[in-house]
Amino acid sequence: MRPGLAWRLARRDLRGAIGSFRVFLLCLTLGVAAIAAVGTVRTAISEGLSREASRILGGDAEIRFTYRFATDAERAFIEAQSVRLSEIVDFRSMIRRDDGTEGRSLVQVKGVDDAYPLVGAVTLDPPMPLADAFAGSDGLPGLLAAPELFDRLGVDVGAQVALGTQSFVLMARIAEEPDSMGGGFGFGPRVITTRANLADSGLLAPGTLFDSAYRMVLPPQTDLDALRDTAESRFPDTGLRWTDRRNGTPGLSRFVDRMGAFLVLVGLAGLAVGGIGVAAAVRTYLDTRIETIATLKTLGATGSMIFLIYGMQIGLLAVIGVGLGLILGYGLPALLAPFLADRLPVPALFGLYPVPLAEAALYGLLAAALFSVWPLARARDTRAAALFRDLVAPGRVWPRWPVLATVAALAVGFVAVAALLSGLPRLAFWTGLGIALVLLILLVAALGLRRLAARLARGRAARGAPLWRQGLAALGGAGSEAVPVILSLGLGLTVLSTIVQIDRNFRQIIDGQLPEIAPAFFFLDIQPDQMPEFLDRATALNGGDRIETAPMLRGVITRINDRPAAEVAGEHWVLRGDRGITYAATPPTGTEITAGAWWDADHDGPPQMSFAAEEAEELGLSLGDRITVNVLGRDLTAEVTSFRTVDFGDMGINFVMIVDPKALAGAPHTAIATVYADAEAEAPLLRDLTGRFPNVTGIGVRAAMDRVGDALAALAAGTSWGASVTLLTGFVVLIGAAAAGERRRTYEAAILKTLGAQRRQILAGLALRSALLGAAAGLVAVLAGSIAAWAVMTFVMDGDFVPALGPAGLVILGGALANLAAGLGFAWRPLSARPARILRARD
Amino acid sequence: MLMAGLEQATTGSVHCLGADMTALDEDALARFRRDRMGVVFQSFHLIPTMTALENVAVPLELAGRDDAFERAAEELERVGLAARRDHYPAQLSGGEQQRVALARAAAPRPALFLADEPTGNLDGSTGAAIMDLLFSLRDAHGATLVLVTHAPELAARCDRTLSLTDGQLQRTAEAAE
Repeated sequence: MRPGLAWRLARRDLRGAIGSFRVFLLCLTLGVAAIAAVGTVRTAISEGLSREASRILGGDAEIRFTYRFATDAERAFIEAQSVRLSEIVDFRSMIRRDDGTEGRSLVQVKGVDDAYPLVGAVTLDPPMPLADAFAGSDGLPGLLAAPELFDRLGVDVGAQVALGTQSFVLMARIAEEPDSMGGGFGFGPRVITTRANLADSGLLAPGTLFDSAYRMVLPPQTDLDALRDTAESRFPDTGLRWTDRRNGTPGLSRFVDRMGAFLVLVGLAGLAVGGIGVAAAVRTYLDTRIETIATLKTLGATGSMIFLIYGMQIGLLAVIGVGLGLILGYGLPALLAPFLADRLPVPALFGLYPVPLAEAALYGLLAAALFSVWPLARARDTRAAALFRDLVAPGRVWPRWPVLATVAALAVGFVAVAALLSGLPRLAFWTGLGIALVLLILLVAALGLRRLAARLARGRAARGAPLWRQGLAALGGAGSEAVPVILSLGLGLTVLSTIVQIDRNFRQIIDGQLPEIAPAFFFLDIQPDQMPEFLDRATALNGGDRIETAPMLRGVITRINDRPAAEVAGEHWVLRGDRGITYAATPPTGTEITAGAWWDADHDGPPQMSFAAEEAEELGLSLGDRITVNVLGRDLTAEVTSFRTVDFGDMGINFVMIVDPKALAGAPHTAIATVYADAEAEAPLLRDLTGRFPNVTGIGVRAAMDRVGDALAALAAGTSWGASVTLLTGFVVLIGAAAAGERRRTYEAAILKTLGAQRRQILAGLALRSALLGAAAGLVAVLAGSIAAWAVMTFVMDGDFVPALGPAGLVILGGALANLAAGLGFAWRPLSARPARILRARD
Repeated sequence: MLMAGLEQATTGSVHCLGADMTALDEDALARFRRDRMGVVFQSFHLIPTMTALENVAVPLELAGRDDAFERAAEELERVGLAARRDHYPAQLSGGEQQRVALARAAAPRPALFLADEPTGNLDGSTGAAIMDLLFSLRDAHGATLVLVTHAPELAARCDRTLSLTDGQLQRTAEAAE
């Protein structure tokens, strides 16, 4: 093997051939550009978050407690570490107009001290010093609110509102809140006042759910790891949660990372479609090189030399395609940076980031290699005798085993790289498997369609309709475009079809099924002494419909069998942050115990716990395990004595953990209630109950589900953008396939014209062929997409699946139109060429 | 084509220049042609993306010759195409293309020239010139020429003639010394 010579011959042979690689280059460029762009934006956001970390966090580090404030010892420790310290409290509540007019809204309340904000500044509209704003006017304390709240309540600056039992004056709109992203997913617009102003609101009574946060500005060169370790070891098992500027927004960073990784995986589907185009383009190119290859072999070139020559050519073009993709993938976000930075809800620092570009380049080169090896192996096996045969000399169908092994290794490598780089190995694995499976289904469908078309072309029905027969024979015969068209168009349409079907079905659940089974409201923070009256009023207002209540505390699972929980069960969602926990003497109505037994109603022994069966299995729990939960700063260790099914899908009161009543006896707590009601009873119910009990928060399930629906719509929109790259790449592949078939169609048209066919008849035949093939691709995509959507709805969302026929029809129509456009774009030459010239050239 | 190893015999054996062609695999046959055989086709089969000089140099380069381009230039001069060395096949006439093909076949100094209807695509006078050139190359290099042709007058210029009709060898004729 002589690489130097191979390189020289490769370069010479490539002269004037770059034009044959348009589809190849476009496919790779688009795929790489999409992945590079997603990676660049993701990194820009991560960098933005990291640069702004102190501002977003509100300090260098934060210690947070749920349900309680720091003890004296904890506070003394925090003060000793800090150069400056700010204490805030954060909770959600109901706000209402306090001027005799109706108007209320869920809000996320922040109670601050004089030191707030430690980093950055709160900007107000109208501008005024923060202290003046909090001081209020007319003897009432001041409240600041997000502009959204003014719209919701229909009020202006100066209006009087109430939080709990305390009245406030809305002093200004919050134009900018430096630490707005640190709080995570809020249920309502933000309002800010001082903790002192909240003292008489009745909203921070024992048992109420709130978070307290202690933000610290630390001396320079503080070792954050050491300080965190000191805090955690000094106050073990107190529910203390540490965050510092290195990861000030873990939830947000995680979301950005996951969304980015998810979009990269969607981008890989685009690259897979591009791969089909790459394979088709390489094959078409090498077909034009058969004579040269055979000549080289006649002159003494070995198979390995041929593989090396054309491998180098493809490699060089792959590098060019990847390079163009990187320029586009970096350039587009850079060009749009000013526009994006204004519209993104998070800070983004756009720049040239080598890591996401290298990642995209690696994917591009792997895809080029994966999809080129097979056609290259075919070229290697071209025999010198090809010089004396027609171009469609049938070679071996399957390549030699080393080639198959290389293809398999590259495919595995591709998925492994995706798993490694995305940080979502399971999703990457399933995406890889899904893409492979869909491609396989599409391939089988394409081969089936070829056979069917060939059979129909020979059948009685096609007799007397020569153009039909010609079209069907072209679909079914050698050189048929069925495989590249169905593979390229089908994968993009399958992704789109899956998204549309899931979206439609999920909306059906929200709009159709959920109102029938879900409660109208959750009411939180009901104090135990308020419960009898609450129940009386709610029952009177909801017409005797169902009301369920349960005591509610929140706790963090810290240990499993006396070992740190994260060590035992990793990053499971049940272990992340605090979870609701309740107690009950008897199993709640409808509970199904799957293992173990419920405690006696008057159980007086050591604490026992019933755990949700599915989550227990995921955590690897078994009966007899000991779970330690930190509730209100105290550890509660209980033995798991039963598992039970919990259906989170019914939106009722569901707890992962229930303990026996004695276990939590004496712990201050509030209650949660779900109230079922007809749509027309909802508004009076909320007005009455939150009016009567100002400390109680009512959350409308419909509004909450709308927010989930909005989040899903955003996800679907993001995924659709990813799918559109897949579709665009697919369209390029279609054009490539149509261009590759132009010579054949021109020849067919010449023969048909010689036999008396008119141009409009030939055009109709070409259109029919393209539309049929595109519609077939759409049909297969709809079937594959429906199967995927059914799996997601059934196994992930525990819902029913009903195929959405309208969008399915649109996908099929879209497939037909796309291929029709690509096909007709190359109809000019077959229609215009003079038969004599074409036929003479073939003689 | 069996003799050139471009096609594999399904039964029997083919011996050429002392080698059993049926025992060689595709790559071994390629090396055999590279080292010992110069093939000339009716359709020239020049590589369209390479200049005349590069086309002639290819077998020498494949053989690992450092002086491939110098030798190729000499060979082009010998066939009278020194002035056309940097032209691509599409810029050459049929006769010129076949002369490049002859130079390419002769450049590695093969023991055997194998010419398959070398004048089939050329007009009469050009064809005659090409044949003169082919025979002169054979004589200059002391090689054997196997010529496949339908033209009796060309066959008559050979030392020995084998006639193939319907797949059967009909007769052999030895040329008079």
